[in-house]
Amino acid sequence: MRAPPARIAFEQWDHRYAELLAQGLHQQPYGGPLRRHLQAGDSRLAQLCYDNSPAALRLWNFLLSEEDRLRQARAAGDVIVGTMKDLGTVPVMVYAMDHAVAFYPDGAWWTPCMMHASPCDLALAAAAGLDESFCPVRAMAGAFLSGRRFPRPDLLVCSAGATCDDFSAIAGRLETLRFPIFWWEICARRHPEAGEEAVALPGGGTAPRSQVQFVAGELERVRAQLESAAGQTLDDAVLARGIQAANQIRRRLAEICRLVFGSKICPMPALEMLIAQMLAIHFCSDRTQTLEVLTDLLMEIRRRIAAGQGVLPPDAVRIYWVNPVADLRAMNLLEDCGGRLCGNDLMFAHATDEIPEDAPPLEALARCALADPMVGPAHDRAARICREARDLHAQAVIVSRIAGASHCAFEGGVICQRVGDELGLPVLEIEVPSVSDALAPSLRTRIEALIETARRGAERSRT
Amino acid sequence: MIVAGIDGGSRTIKVVLLDTASETVLASGACDQGVRQEALAAALLDRLLGGIGRSQSDVKRIVATGYARHRIGIAQRAITEITCHAVGVRRQMPGAMTILEMGGQDSKLIRLDGDGLVRDFSMNDRCAAGTGRFLEVVAARLEVCLQDLGPLAASSQSPANISSTCVVFAESEIIGLLAGGVCREDIVAGVQRSMAQRIAAMAAGNPEEPIVFTGGVALVTGMKAALETALGKPLMPASDPLMTGALGAAILAGRMKE
Repeated sequence: MRAPPARIAFEQWDHRYAELLAQGLHQQPYGGPLRRHLQAGDSRLAQLCYDNSPAALRLWNFLLSEEDRLRQARAAGDVIVGTMKDLGTVPVMVYAMDHAVAFYPDGAWWTPCMMHASPCDLALAAAAGLDESFCPVRAMAGAFLSGRRFPRPDLLVCSAGATCDDFSAIAGRLETLRFPIFWWEICARRHPEAGEEAVALPGGGTAPRSQVQFVAGELERVRAQLESAAGQTLDDAVLARGIQAANQIRRRLAEICRLVFGSKICPMPALEMLIAQMLAIHFCSDRTQTLEVLTDLLMEIRRRIAAGQGVLPPDAVRIYWVNPVADLRAMNLLEDCGGRLCGNDLMFAHATDEIPEDAPPLEALARCALADPMVGPAHDRAARICREARDLHAQAVIVSRIAGASHCAFEGGVICQRVGDELGLPVLEIEVPSVSDALAPSLRTRIEALIETARRGAERSRT
Repeated sequence: MIVAGIDGGSRTIKVVLLDTASETVLASGACDQGVRQEALAAALLDRLLGGIGRSQSDVKRIVATGYARHRIGIAQRAITEITCHAVGVRRQMPGAMTILEMGGQDSKLIRLDGDGLVRDFSMNDRCAAGTGRFLEVVAARLEVCLQDLGPLAASSQSPANISSTCVVFAESEIIGLLAGGVCREDIVAGVQRSMAQRIAAMAAGNPEEPIVFTGGVALVTGMKAALETALGKPLMPASDPLMTGALGAAILAGRMKE
């Protein structure tokens, strides 16, 4: 018998897992009870609230077993490429090749439980001069030094130029710690000037043709480096196939978002949505499984919508959320306070927008890289956020700052101002540190007050 | 019908009993906050009810607010102090467009629309500078009662310059000022000015008038004047600033559906 959709606590997953097994749960090799990850040291998992579906269990197991996959790839002699800073461009190139996997070392900053389970990684980073005055990405340096989170990659590729200061400093320091990096430059996106040819970018923006050509040239250098590391040819035909495969995943994710954010009921919690979206960046070291995991999730969502069964009360307030959170409990908190996710901008919209398939592959990828919200003006990002929040019928917007992350210092203010001016929606800017325990009461008050404000506004417009 | 609003603040618990038929406050009172928050709130409620010859069974509904709102189990509902202050102020001063609420551990600037509904709000971020806690630390360091801070500040000739970014740093500054021979009057006036400047920064320059001043800090003499100087705008103190949140909670309890 299928259990109704629900958010359940970690302890409830033991019983739920036994129930699913008794019902003949089909699992992948990375399957198993959620508790095994806790026993492996991810102790903060015990503090989260989860969706109770087998599809969500698979999603979590897939996410939390990436390290195993990377070590298997190493044992099998596959080429392992660490793609740093760039979100969603170079991984597409890597996965176009055979026997090659890309992973995202920067992800160490948000990997669930990282901050709790591996304080020594942060200590190692601090010992290397990357103390708490740097943003949480410094955890990446500690992970490289400890060697516990992922195997040493065969090649490290990192973008430079229009990237945040903290990240550049951390990556630069990493290179001096005997982790050689292949750098490529991403320029700061600007609007085409009069007389310049404008090229359409995924997501709706434009960039001058000269910038697209420049970035395509940089990616040409990356291509040569990848070919050399893997001993394979990465020609346009191979790349085009890689782009098509990546787009298949992006379309699947877009469909998930369309259904979840557009549905009257909320068929999937915010936390699982965040994790699903994160998979798009580098496919969690297995592109094929990423597609299957997302397909499972999509089927569950469709079933729930068809049955009219959601995981939250129908009157949950629709919140558009900006930026990923360092402490995943914030996504639970949103729902505990009476909100539901109706859309988000997690700083990597370009990794989820479809890559053009009607352009030469490197130009298509260059357009994708230039669509990165972090390489363009904050006003461009704010405009897209407003457009999406309006289309998704958001009742309020939350801008979540990342503690210590320099690229957010002023952007939050720009976004809040524009949302207020253009949409007239209540907007809240908060900061969610890696471990938010001390701030939990204050965060709860702010989010609850925002939801009360949005709810009263909606009640008034109904009367 | 009798309803109650309980404001479980960080320093004090406040209770307001409201008769919804006559829309009159039957009783109100406050007590110090403590470890057993629910028991303290219940005891205060019982005391006030006893004073009007009633008991908890006569109370139809209770709404809790304040930072301890989720720990007051006798309440049927918890609503944030932001919403409750807006409702309380609307009752006391219907035309208010901005509320400046300074409590024990946080300060808020609440912008209202023409109907008295919350449009948006700002709160102090993390640090207790700009809150009542700052004044408590200063009073303890200067060995004066909290209620004496106002008169002391009023007699200042030259307010000291004190950083407003952090209570801990500010306390260190005060120790330095005392060692340098600066008088207590000037230190207190400097602290009030520093707090007011911090709130003015939160207001982002242009809070819409009329501005109502609520919260326990509104009872500290000198703070209103310091804030008016920092904001460049007049403030209207709420008629009973300590009770505004509890009043709003009681009004919302009265509006709750069965």
